[in-house]
Amino acid sequence: MAADSDPESEVFEITDFTTASEWERFVSKVEEVLNDWKLIGNTASRALEKGELTTGIWEEKSDEISFADYKFSITHHYLKRGPLTDKEAKEGSEEDALPEAMQDLLCVDNDFPPRAHCLVRWYSLREFVIIAPGANSDAVISESKCNILLSSISIALGNTGCQVPLFVQIQQKARRMYVGVCEGPGVRTDFEMVHLRKVPNQYNHLSGLLDIFKSKIGCPLMPLPPVNVAIRFTYVLQDWQQYSWPQQPPDIDALVGGEVGGLEFGKLPFGACEDPISELHLATTWPYLAEGIVVDNDVYSDLDPLQAPHWSVRVRKADNPQCLLGDFLTEFLKICRRKESTDELLGKSAFEEDGKENTDITHALQKLTDPGTVHIPRLSTMSNIVHSARKRMHRNRRVEESPINNEVLNSILLFLFPDAAEKAGEASDVTPSTSCGVGMAATDEDYNLYSQFKSAPSNSLTYKLALCLCMINFYHGGMRGVAHLWQEFVLEMRYRWENNYLIPGLANGAPDLKCCLLHQKLQMLNCCIERKKARDDGRKQLSSENASSSSIERKLSNNSSDKEKKEKGDPSQQKSWDSWSDSEEEFFECISDTEELQESDKKEGAAKGERKVEEGKKETQRWKPEGRLHQYGNMTLLRMGELLYIPVTQEPAPMTEDLLEEQSEVLAKLGTSAEGAHLRARMQSACLLSDMESFKAANPGCCLEDFVRWYSPRDYIEEEVNDKIGNIVLKGELSARMKIPGNMWVEAWESAKPIPARRQRRLFDDTREAEKVLHYLVGLKPADLARHLLPCIMHAALLKVKEEESIEDIPCVRKIIQQIVTHVSKLLRYSNPDLKKLEDIINQIIASEAIIARSRSLQAKFGINKCEKEDEREELERFVSCLLEQPEVPATGAGRGHIGTIIYKLFVNAQRAATLTPIDDEPRKPSSERRPSSGAVPEFPPPTGREIILRTTVPRPAPYSKSLPQRMYCVLLKDDFRLAGAFSSDTSFF
Amino acid sequence: MDEDVLTTLKILIIGESGVGKSSLLLRFTDDTFDPELAATIGVDFKVKTIAVDGNKAKLAIWDTAGQERFRTLTPSYYRGAQGVILVYDVTRRDTFVRLDNWLNELETYCTRNDIVKMLVGNKIDKENREVDRNEGLKFARKHSMLFIESSAKTRDGVQCAFEELVEKIIQTPGLWESESQNSKLRLSDSPDARGGGSCGGYCSML
Ligand SMILES: Nc1nc2c(ncn2[C@@H]2O[C@H](COP(=O)(O)OP(=O)(O)O)[C@@H](O)[C@H]2O)c(=O)[nH]1
Ligand SMILES: [Mg+2]
Repeated sequence: MAADSDPESEVFEITDFTTASEWERFVSKVEEVLNDWKLIGNTASRALEKGELTTGIWEEKSDEISFADYKFSITHHYLKRGPLTDKEAKEGSEEDALPEAMQDLLCVDNDFPPRAHCLVRWYSLREFVIIAPGANSDAVISESKCNILLSSISIALGNTGCQVPLFVQIQQKARRMYVGVCEGPGVRTDFEMVHLRKVPNQYNHLSGLLDIFKSKIGCPLMPLPPVNVAIRFTYVLQDWQQYSWPQQPPDIDALVGGEVGGLEFGKLPFGACEDPISELHLATTWPYLAEGIVVDNDVYSDLDPLQAPHWSVRVRKADNPQCLLGDFLTEFLKICRRKESTDELLGKSAFEEDGKENTDITHALQKLTDPGTVHIPRLSTMSNIVHSARKRMHRNRRVEESPINNEVLNSILLFLFPDAAEKAGEASDVTPSTSCGVGMAATDEDYNLYSQFKSAPSNSLTYKLALCLCMINFYHGGMRGVAHLWQEFVLEMRYRWENNYLIPGLANGAPDLKCCLLHQKLQMLNCCIERKKARDDGRKQLSSENASSSSIERKLSNNSSDKEKKEKGDPSQQKSWDSWSDSEEEFFECISDTEELQESDKKEGAAKGERKVEEGKKETQRWKPEGRLHQYGNMTLLRMGELLYIPVTQEPAPMTEDLLEEQSEVLAKLGTSAEGAHLRARMQSACLLSDMESFKAANPGCCLEDFVRWYSPRDYIEEEVNDKIGNIVLKGELSARMKIPGNMWVEAWESAKPIPARRQRRLFDDTREAEKVLHYLVGLKPADLARHLLPCIMHAALLKVKEEESIEDIPCVRKIIQQIVTHVSKLLRYSNPDLKKLEDIINQIIASEAIIARSRSLQAKFGINKCEKEDEREELERFVSCLLEQPEVPATGAGRGHIGTIIYKLFVNAQRAATLTPIDDEPRKPSSERRPSSGAVPEFPPPTGREIILRTTVPRPAPYSKSLPQRMYCVLLKDDFRLAGAFSSDTSFF
Repeated sequence: MDEDVLTTLKILIIGESGVGKSSLLLRFTDDTFDPELAATIGVDFKVKTIAVDGNKAKLAIWDTAGQERFRTLTPSYYRGAQGVILVYDVTRRDTFVRLDNWLNELETYCTRNDIVKMLVGNKIDKENREVDRNEGLKFARKHSMLFIESSAKTRDGVQCAFEELVEKIIQTPGLWESESQNSKLRLSDSPDARGGGSCGGYCSML
C-alpha cells in the first residue's frame, strides 16, 4: 500500500478501524476505491470536442462495496482520451480551476447525444462514478437512507479531494433516479432530480420551465443574466402509408414450372418478411436560443419544427425481424441434431425394392464377383430413369404417406438430374452428358469459397442437393421430407450404377479432395460407373463385331481362340499368358484399349506373314508388342535397338478421403521395423508390377534398365568414359540402389509378365467400390446427411448474402461477410464442426440479411428510385447508408433541404391518413409561411418528446459568491417528466 | 510413456527421386547412413519423438518415392500434414529446377494453407555441386520457406532441419492444436451490436 509510507495516514487508519461504525467503514471504503482508481485531485484537461461524448470510446471500471450487509456496486464511467499535451497540462493545472465536470455543464457542443448514458445526456459529463444497489439488493427508497448515502459521498469526496462527480442511484432502477455531488476547491455542484409520471400543466412549455429553473437558482441578482436555451423536439413516424412492406413469405402451395411459391430450386430465399424498419424519429433542434427570443407558453408557440435550424433522423429497427434465409439455415441446422434414421421416419424397408432382389450388399457383391453372371444391363430410355426408380418406391408405400407430393418431387428430380429431361424421348443409349466443365464454370471467388469451406462447386449435384434438401425441410414435410428425398436420391444412384448412366453435375475424374466427403463419394460412384460402362461398351462392341461369337462371355473367356493361338510363335509363352488372362475377373479393359485391340487385330491379319519372318530373325523377341501408348522420344531399347514405347497403364484407383485415411492407417500400422517397411513397400508394389507388365508387353525384349530409364530416370546413371581406342562414349548402368541384389524393383521385374494393362487384373475394383459407396449412402441418417451438406449450405448462404450485398453496396455487410468466411473456413476444417459455433455464424448471417433488408426498406421509403436528379439521388443514397450505420444522421438543409422535404411529406401523409383527410398531390411547401395555428389539420403530429436544456452562470448562494455554472435538463414525454438540475454554489463565500 | 508428449505432428518429405529423402529420414531417426538403401516404393513411414524448447513432440514422418508414377498415390499423404520438407540434390540442377512443380503439388493437395515448409539442399558432401547455396536461399525466401543445406552421409544439418521445422510448427498458432479454442465470434463489429435501445445504461432519449 502506498499509504504505508505516510505515518499520518497509518495512524489515521488504525484509529479509524478500531472504532469505526458501519457508516464510517462505508465512507472509508468509498475513499479507498477512489484512491485505487486514482480519481484524486484536479481533473481539468482539454475541452471536449464537438460530439466527442458520442463518438469517443467509453470505458468503465467496477467494484463492489457494502454498507453493513447491504451490497452496492461502484462504477467509474469515463471517456477514453489521449494524454494531455504539455501546454494543456500547464493550462489545466491552475490551482483553483473549476472541476472539469462543472465546466462541461455549460458546454454546448455535446447536447442531445444520439446514444449515451443518461447522466451524460442530462449533464454533459465525460466522467462520473455511480454507486448503485448491487444486483440482488433492494432499491434505496426511504429518504433517510438517501440522505445517509448522499452525505457519505460528500464526506468521501471532501476527504479525498476527488473532483469527479459521484452519484447514488435511488428509487427503482427503472426510474433512473440519481442524486450526486461534485466537489472542487471552494465550489460544489449538487445534482438533483425530479421525476413524474405526468407533465404538470404549468411546466408544459418553455416559459414554465424557465420559471422553475430561475426559482431553483434563487439568484439574488436582479436582473438575472440571460439563460441560454437549447431545444429539441422529436417526432415519431410509425405509419408508413403507401410504403407497405413488399416482401411476403413465399406461398408454398403455389407450384409454377419448377418453382415453389416463386422460389426456384437451387436458390435460397432472402429478405425480411416484415418491415425491418419500424419507426422514424425526426429530431428538430434549436441549438442556441437566447431567453426571450422565442415564445413558448400555454397559449402560443414559436417553435415550428419546419423552422428548426437543425434536423436529424434516427430509425428504429424491428427487433429480430423474421428473415427468410436465416430461417432456412436455422431449420436446416436443426436436422443435424436429430437422431432418427430414414427407416424410422418413413417406415420400414425404405430402400428396399419390391419384387427384385433386395439391395443387401453381400448379396450384390456376390452377384457381381461371380464370373458366371456378368451383368449386362438392359438399356432403357433416359426418360425412364427417374421414373422407374420412383415407381419401385411407390409400390412400397402408400402415396398419401409420402411427405413430398409427386409434382414437387418430380420437379426436384428433374432439377437435380437434368439429363433425364434432355434425353427424354431419345430412345437411345447415348452417353449422358458427362458434365464436363463443372467446377470450371464457377468463378474464382466461388472456387475459393468451396475449397475453403470444403463444400462443392456451386453448380454441382451435391450443392444442388443441399439446397433442395434445405427447401424440402422448410416447406415440404421437414425431416420426413428430407428422408424421402434422400431415399429417392439414393435409389437414383443405384439405378444409374446398375444401368451405366453417369451421374450429372460432377466434375470428371478422381474425387476432389477439396470437396466435402459426400461429393467425393458421388464422384467415386461416377468413376465406377464410367469404368463399368467402358468395360460393358467394349464388350458390346466386340460382340457386335464378332458376329460368329454370340456372347461376350464366350469371346472373353476364349481368349486363346484358334486364331490367336496360331499367331503366337512360342507355345510355352502362350501357356503362362493364358494362365494370367483366362479368368474373367482379371479382365480389365477400357475403350481406348478396345479400339487398339481391334486395330492390332486387323493389322495382325495383314502382317501375319511378315511378322513370322521377323520373329524368326530375332529370337529374343518372344512376344508381339501390345498396349503401346506412344514412343518415348527417340529412346531405343538397350539390348534390342528398337524404339522404346511408353505403355498404356492402368489408371490409378480413385480414392475418397476416408479411403485414403484408411489406407494410410493400414500402412502406418505396419510400424517402422525393417519387416514393416518391407511389407509396406510390397503392399504398394501392385501398381509398380502392373506398370512393369504393361511395359514388358509394349516393349518385347526390354530389360530392367529400359524400364528404369522411363520410370525412374535418375536411377539410370550415364557416364562419359574413354573406351579402349580413346573415344568418349556414354556408358550407362543402374544406380547402386537398383543394383542391390533381391531389391524389390528387381524382384518385381523378374516376376512381371508381359501383359498389357487391359488384360491385367484390375487394380481398381469398381464393383466393390460402387457397392461400398451405395451402402454408405443408404446408411446415412438425415442428420448425417445434413452434417455432410452443411458446408454447401453455408457456402450457398454466403454467396447469397454476397450477391444481395453487391446490389446494395453496404460496406459494413461486406465486413461481416469477410469475418464469417474466416470463421466458417476454420470451423469446417474439422469433420465434426461445433454446431453451437455454427449457430453463432448463422446469427451473423441473419444480421447481414437484416441490414440489407433495412437498406431496401429505407430506399423504398425515401423513394430513391423515384429520385430523378442525379445529385439529389446521391445525397439520398448517402443519407440512407448513414442511417444504417450511424445512430443519428443529420438531414442537410433541415426542413428546407431535399431530404427534409421527403420526410415532411412522410409525416404529412401519415397525419392526413390518421385524420382521414385526402392526400394532396402537393402538400404545403415546408419553407412557406407559418402554419395556421388552428382550424386546418396540423401537418405534423405533436412531438413525442421534448428536451430542453437551460444554462446560465450566476453567483450562488450570495451576490458576492463566485459566478458558477448552472444547468437544468428537462425532458417531456407523454407519460414521463424529468428535470435534472445541476446547481453550483460557492462554499467559501456565502 | 507418451503422456508427456505435447502433440503428434505429421510431417511429409517430398522431392525428386534420388535426392536423398529416405537417407535423410534414416539419418534423423536412426542416425545411420545406408548406401544400400532401396529405392522407395509408394510411401514409407517412420516415427520419432523429439524435444523442442522443452516440449516433446512425436513426429510421424511420411517419406515419398518421388517418381512421376507414384505421385498419383501421394496426394493423400499431404492431407493434414503440418510440416513438409522439400528436398533437392545440390549436385543435380534438374532436381532444383523441379521444385516449382513440387510446390504446386503441395498447393493443390494440402488441406491447410498454414503448413510450414522447409527447403533442404542435400548431398553437400559431394564435390560436383551444381546448385549454389545462395540459389537455394533465394528460392526459400521467395516462397517463405525455412532453408538449410545438409548431408545425410555426414549428418550435417539433418538434425537441425527437423528441429527447426518442428519449432516453427509449434510456434504457429492453430497449426498444432487439433481445435482452436479461441475462435469465439466477435459480434461487436456489427453495427447493431453496440447496444440497441435499452442496454446497460446506454440509451437514447425515447
Ligand atoms: N554422397 C551422398 N549421397 C547421398 C546422400 N543422401 C543420399 N545419398 C545417396 O543418394 C541415393 C538416393 O538416396 P535416397 O535416400 O534413396 O533418395 P530418395 O529417393 O530421395 O529417397 C542413394 O544412393 C544414397 O546413398 C548424401 O547426403 N550424400
Ligand atoms: Mg526414397
